[in-house]
Amino acid sequence: MIVNFDNAATTFPKPLSVRKAVANAMEKFGGNAGRGGHALAVRTSEAVFSARETAAEFFGAEPENVVFTLNCTHSLNMAIQGIMQGGGNLIISSLEHNSSARPAVKLASDKKITLSVAQVFPENEKTIRNFKSLIKSDTKAVVFTIASNVTGQITPYREIAQICREKNICFIADSAQASGIINIKLSDGINILCTAGHKGLYGITGTGLLVSDGKYKISPIIQGGTGTSSKSLKQPVLLPESLESGTLNTAGIMSVKAGIEFINTIGIENIFRHENILCNKFIKIITRNKKVTVYRNSNAEYVPIVAFNIGKIPPETVAEKLSDYGYCLRAGFHCSALAHIQLGTEYGCVRFSPSYFSREEDTLRLAEIIKNM
Amino acid sequence: MPSYTYAVKADKLLKSRGYNSRIERNKKKCGFSLKTDGDYQEITGIFEKYSIPYENISCGGEPL
Repeated sequence: MIVNFDNAATTFPKPLSVRKAVANAMEKFGGNAGRGGHALAVRTSEAVFSARETAAEFFGAEPENVVFTLNCTHSLNMAIQGIMQGGGNLIISSLEHNSSARPAVKLASDKKITLSVAQVFPENEKTIRNFKSLIKSDTKAVVFTIASNVTGQITPYREIAQICREKNICFIADSAQASGIINIKLSDGINILCTAGHKGLYGITGTGLLVSDGKYKISPIIQGGTGTSSKSLKQPVLLPESLESGTLNTAGIMSVKAGIEFINTIGIENIFRHENILCNKFIKIITRNKKVTVYRNSNAEYVPIVAFNIGKIPPETVAEKLSDYGYCLRAGFHCSALAHIQLGTEYGCVRFSPSYFSREEDTLRLAEIIKNM
Repeated sequence: MPSYTYAVKADKLLKSRGYNSRIERNKKKCGFSLKTDGDYQEITGIFEKYSIPYENISCGGEPL
């Protein structure tokens, strides 16, 4: 028996419609999208455009501003490095994943930018107040995760985005843990939304999206073939091609389209409700074990992720033990050094993250095992 | 058209307004063209309204 409760890393299983979309892509969309005018290329190009439309509608964007990437890390690197070319001050939150923190720190250590870290508190007012105090005259961009990949805490991203809008600062949102769980739109004030395609959007691994409102020009960090202006040695400037050098992952893109359609069919509120109920039941049982610490605060809101530790048992040991029972949970630092510094979790923690396919009976059985550890 | 993406967007927009339109491979350069009929000022007006960039317009192969 294998039960996946590590859906924050990547959702599994995938919906049947997603699996079928991948198989269909392998059978039908064998051309190279945007390259050539033959029937196979055209059919593939049309399919990719259709996926852009689906994603655009989902996030409240224009299709041409939907860029398909390899994953959320790829999207965030393109956004951060692309916007911060030419220097300036960058603010990131204290809950950022390494996919934002590392490119930001690299730019700062190379003296190309200055970097500030905005502490995220359980209380939104405190977070906002602290964030405001960090804004400088040369602050060019802000990167805020919508929800922490460690604890699931939802940041006051709408309020932060609004402040950025008033001050003409580019607001980049990391939506890896929020997409498909809570309704995220560019109209929330987001200039550039970065997300994974393989987590809450239920696409396959190797998929991600960068969705822009088109206000800020993103300098490409990768140049190459785009299927357009091929006689020119200069990279095209228009989205999405300017950021999509090289052959696209057609099967992956079709999986993301099918995943979004799956979410639309189920209803994002129903997905959140199902997963949230499982998290609440899970917490209720595991906290009967007095050694258990759950990293949640009553003043904060969370996406359906539960971070916990059991006394002084190393989190990797807990995860190993649970794996012996067939339960897959991720332990350690979850590629999020900043968040663990904030939590004070010297050896990291264990993370429980269900998906729409997670069953109550599996959740309860797992919780009972943890209760008795 | 500057890209296939914009060619499709323009194609759909024109078709939804009753124009005949189709995407063709540009034979002179690597890229895509949109072949359509109707008044070019009306069509460019639609493109401008929806922020669709285009590189040039020709009629019967001659630039306008």
